[in-house]
This record gives sequence, structure tokens and C-alpha cells, in this order.
Amino acid sequence: MAYGGKTKTMNLEIKDLTVRLYPKKNAGRHINVVDSVDLYVNGGEIAAVVGESGSGKSFLGLSIMRLNPPDVSEVVSGSVKIKCPGEKEELDIMRLNPKNLPSVRGRLVSIVFQDPNTSLNPVIKIGEQITEAIFAHKKIGKPEAKEIAISYLNRMNIDGKARFNAYPHELSGGMRQRVMIAMAMVLNPCFLIADEPTTALDVTTSLQVLSLIEKIKLESNLGIIFITHDLSIAKNISDKIYVFYAGQVMECGKTEEIMDNPLHPYTVSLINSVPSLPADYMPKQKLFTIPGYLTKDDFTEGKCRFYSRCFKRDNNCLKNIPLNEISRGMFARCIKV
Amino acid sequence: MPGVLRYNSFARKNKANIKKETGKINNKTKQNMEKEIILNALNLSKYYKYYKSVFDIKRDVIKAVDDITFEVFRNEIFAVVGETGCGKSTLAKLVAGLINKTSGDIYYDGELLDYKDKKKNFRKKIQIVFQDPYSSLNPKKKIYKIISYPAVKNNIIKKRDRLDFAASLLKNVGLSEEILHSYPYELSGGQRQRVGIARSLSVSPELLILDEPVSALDMSISAQVLNLLMDLQAHDKMSYIFITHDLKIVRHIADRVCVMYGGKIMEISPSQDFFKEPAHPYSNILYNSMLPYNFKKQLNFTGLNGKNAGSGLISKEKGIEKGCVYFKKCYASKEICEKNEPPLKDVGDNRMASCFFPFTHPGL
Repeated sequence: MAYGGKTKTMNLEIKDLTVRLYPKKNAGRHINVVDSVDLYVNGGEIAAVVGESGSGKSFLGLSIMRLNPPDVSEVVSGSVKIKCPGEKEELDIMRLNPKNLPSVRGRLVSIVFQDPNTSLNPVIKIGEQITEAIFAHKKIGKPEAKEIAISYLNRMNIDGKARFNAYPHELSGGMRQRVMIAMAMVLNPCFLIADEPTTALDVTTSLQVLSLIEKIKLESNLGIIFITHDLSIAKNISDKIYVFYAGQVMECGKTEEIMDNPLHPYTVSLINSVPSLPADYMPKQKLFTIPGYLTKDDFTEGKCRFYSRCFKRDNNCLKNIPLNEISRGMFARCIKV
Repeated sequence: MPGVLRYNSFARKNKANIKKETGKINNKTKQNMEKEIILNALNLSKYYKYYKSVFDIKRDVIKAVDDITFEVFRNEIFAVVGETGCGKSTLAKLVAGLINKTSGDIYYDGELLDYKDKKKNFRKKIQIVFQDPYSSLNPKKKIYKIISYPAVKNNIIKKRDRLDFAASLLKNVGLSEEILHSYPYELSGGQRQRVGIARSLSVSPELLILDEPVSALDMSISAQVLNLLMDLQAHDKMSYIFITHDLKIVRHIADRVCVMYGGKIMEISPSQDFFKEPAHPYSNILYNSMLPYNFKKQLNFTGLNGKNAGSGLISKEKGIEKGCVYFKKCYASKEICEKNEPPLKDVGDNRMASCFFPFTHPGL
């Protein structure tokens, strides 16, 4: 969904991306885990993808880099076009030869995974893990690569020289996540996909990582797709929000507008179900709840995907609903707004 | 474990002294006697010992919970907050009797808490709900067996009644009877957490220890579980020890807040006062790292960097023999903090803080 102005030099545009997930051993029907998603990020902008677990938001992040598991999933349609200042022409990752994919991963688009404890190799020093990425793309000597790695560690507020030879278990959780970000940033990519980078961290350390992401965004004019399930983080860090449910974008628009007057019933319920902190706040009230939970049946065609849990539903909702532009730059997939 | 034994014998020798102290504390709390104390921990400690390497002779000690004293009132939600490694889960396990204490005593309703005492049967009065709903249910047992097992074990019901018993409990936590014969893997995370709560309710306990009950759940489902917990507490006059790191939830449901750091209690305050003005510098850092939800983008992204932020695992900072545990990271620290350990003392309005300079707030 092309919201706002496109900058000509640097952008990542996802159009009509559909990824199909096949169940193992042919049990049951396939589902569209990412269903005709349009998303748009400029350089120096953070787009937050918000949704609950099982909504397909992590799958979206993986399929942008074509990292989705090939044995169970398949990109059915759509394109992911990338325009970078250094590149001569627009690249479509979905049309790329699999041989050329490694040259794009890490160099143009990078990804930071959720759990820093499991995504770092425990038996390799962090310095080596960072320089590994450099050697894969550049033909340079070891000392230069080490220098680059140290400078990037320093940028992440880690003492690079002292920690270059450290193993992952010697670092704290927040530090490990910062090493992950250093690894993703070491080739100076144009776009970063951050897949729940702060979920496994404490409140205080999570704030440090968030501030770091904000800092590197400003420094290197990075475009970030920030996948999270925490609305308060999305509100504070992002420029625009895509609310994800059962593989579809339910609502998207500017962060302030979505947070101040949400349109889609799902967004409304989500915002109300979190204990919030206004000044006249009354504790011990009943929280608003969304009945039921996200199931596989919600991914079926021919009805609104939020139908089974919606508080505004009626028989008119039992059809495919398009993403309508409600007001300028605000889109919602609902006929009731 | 010889080390633990030695500590236990040490505790036994000093029991007489400790009992005298209990008397003192009871006098102190007589001022607000309208609240009845249900649980009372005195100088409670848990030290873990470990060898640095296989060949090392010296043993290091991690003070997971170090000499803490607190009380929980009846029909109250007592929230324990702090970052990873501050000892809040160890505290839960100590109260639930899942690990042995190194020293100190816990009193329940004025009686020494001893789970081996079969006559008093404290297991029936204190129950725990675990953090992870995925690993805390036996995958090979059906839901009704999981739920009714504690009640059968405690002779509350006969074995043949357990299906009806489990059905009534499921109704209490808002689940349908259809899942009685399912296995845990067939349920969603929110349903499993409710099953965990139903299991601990099966012996109708008076005190429920909740160890991060909603942190593994989605936001829409965590609201369901929180509503259920608030309902149960209001309806059955239960007390909770609610362990979490999410201050927004604490503000929503807690009556009193206890902030822990490095195995020590930093502050105990009524929830309303805490969220008006935190007393301890560390509470202030925690309070400020809470992302505002309904406010404008006002977060100062650089303000918490550097010295002020509490980063890293706490157990790493050993070598603090005397002085405040939070000394190194504190923005308000002075010379006295390095040499003397601040005691947990009254700072007015039923609030306690272990700091020499409470209510100092820099411009964050």
C-alpha cells in the first residue's frame, strides 16, 4: 500500500505478495499465510508490522528475503522491488535467480531475528561471526575485516576491541542482540527487517536496543520493517503501522492516526485490551477482551478473516473484503467503517 | 550439599533471635491492623554455589535472594518487579517450597512455613502458576486428570468424582467442558495458561503465586487471563504474589509493588504512590523505561543510555561485598553508598525504600 510520498532514490515496495503454506504430509488444505500484502518503506523510515502470534507477520519478514522454508511454502504471486542508491536499476527479489540471492541478502536487505540466544552460534567467537559476513561479500584481508567489525561493534555501544574474541555466552542478552544488529549492519544495507528484536529482552535493555535502532536509522538513512506484537513499542518507534491479522493487512496508515482513531474493529480491540497509561487512568477495571483465538480456520477465503472474533460482524461480512481507502493515507479492510 | 546444610544449621541456631525480631515487626505493623498479614518473610536468603570450572577449588556464590524481609496482606495483589536475574523467580520458588532456603524464615498466618508438616498441609493453602504454559503441563495426560490431580492427592475429592470436579473448575476459568478429554497440545496458549490456573485453584488455595503468568501470551489473550485473575481475586478473597516485568500490568492490577534488584528489595510501595513518584533511583529507571502508550512520542531515546541504564545480568556484578548493590549504576550514588549498605527503611506513607537518597530524580 503506497501510503505517503515515494522517495525516488531509496525504497522497498511489496506488491500483492502471496505466500502459500502447505501442511506437512498433505493433512488438510493449504493456507495463504501471507495474502496479497502491499507494503511500502522509504529510506529513513520505520514501518511497524503489528499482529499476534500465528498471524503470519514473521513469515512476511522471511519471505521478503526469500528465506521461507522451500519444502512447505511457496511464493504464489507478487513482487518485492528494491531501489538502492548504489544500484543501477530496480531489483525484484521474487524474480531473482536463486544463485544471485546471497549477493542481495545482507548487502541490500538484512534481517535481525527475535531470539539472540539461539541465533548466534555458541561455539564461534562473535568477531568471527561478524567477519564471516564481510568475507562472503568482499575480497579483503583479515585485519581490515577485523577493523570493520570492531568499528561496527563500537557503533552498537559495545567495546569492540575487548569483545571481539568473546563467545556469545560471555555476553548479556541485550549485548547479544546488539551483536546481531552489528552483524546485520556490517555490510551497510539499505533495508533492515527487525523480527521482534526486543521480545526476548528486559524492559531496560529493550529500551537500549530500541534507541540503538532509532540511532542507526538516523545515521545511515535506513529503511526498517519492524515486526512486533507490542503496540506501545510500535507506537513509539514507527512512522507508519500495518496491522496484520491472519495473513492480511487489516489496517494501515500513519502511526499517530491509527493510534488516535483506529478504524478496524481488530485494531480497536487490540488497543483497548492493553492496560494503558493515561493520566486519568483507573486501575482494576475490566480489560476489553477479544473472544476466542486465532485459528487455522480464520485463513479461509470467502469471509472477513476477523469474522469469528469481531464485535461488529453481521452477514454482510461473509465475503472477501478489499482494503479500502477510508481517508487520505488510511486504509482498512472492513465494510463497517 | 554440605554448604546448604551448614547454612541451615546456622539458621536453626539463630531461630531464637529471629523469633524475637518477629515480635518487633508485628508490633510495627500493628499500626495498620485492618490488614491481616498472610505471609511474612524474614531475612530470607537463597545462595547458589558453583565452581567456576571443573578444576577450580574455589566456589563462587550467587546471592539470588539476599536477606529480604517483606509481608503480604490478605486479599491483596503483591507485585514483584525487576529485570532478569534479580531473583524474583527464586523468591517465588522459595515461597512455594520448590527449593530449599539458605537461611531465614517464612511465616504463613503466623505459623512457620514448613511443607514437610503434613498436619498443616501448606500445599493446600499456597499454590503456584508457572510462566510457561507449554512446558508446565504433562503432555501425556488428559486435561481433566491434570486439573483434578492435586485435589485427589489432597483427599478433597474421590477419584471417581474427578471428571465433574474438573468440569466445574474449567467453568470457573471460562473454558468449555469440551476440552476435558483433550491433551495439552490441542489447546492454545491462553487455554493452557487457564488450565494451569484451574489446576492451582483445585485445592482452593488462599495464596496464589503467579510467576509471569501472561508474559508468554499474546496481548488479546493476556487481557482474558488478567480479567480472570482479577475476578477470582475479588470473588474468592485470594491473595496473589504476582511476579512480572511488565509495569503496565502491575499498575493495572497490583495493590502494592515490590521492586527487586540483585537479590535485594529496593522498594515496597502502594501501587498508586509508586506510579506517582517512585522512591528508589532504580524504580525511577524502571518507571521511565516503561514505554508510554497513550502519550505522544515523547520518549527520550538517549536519556537512558550509559551509566543510568541497568544493563547486563546482575549476577555478573560480584565483588560488591559491602555497600549498595545498585551503587555502580545509580545516578544518585555518593561515597556513603559504596561503603554502607542502605537498609530497607520507612520513607513515609507506608512506603519502604533501601536508599540513602530516596526521591532524587534527575532530568531524564
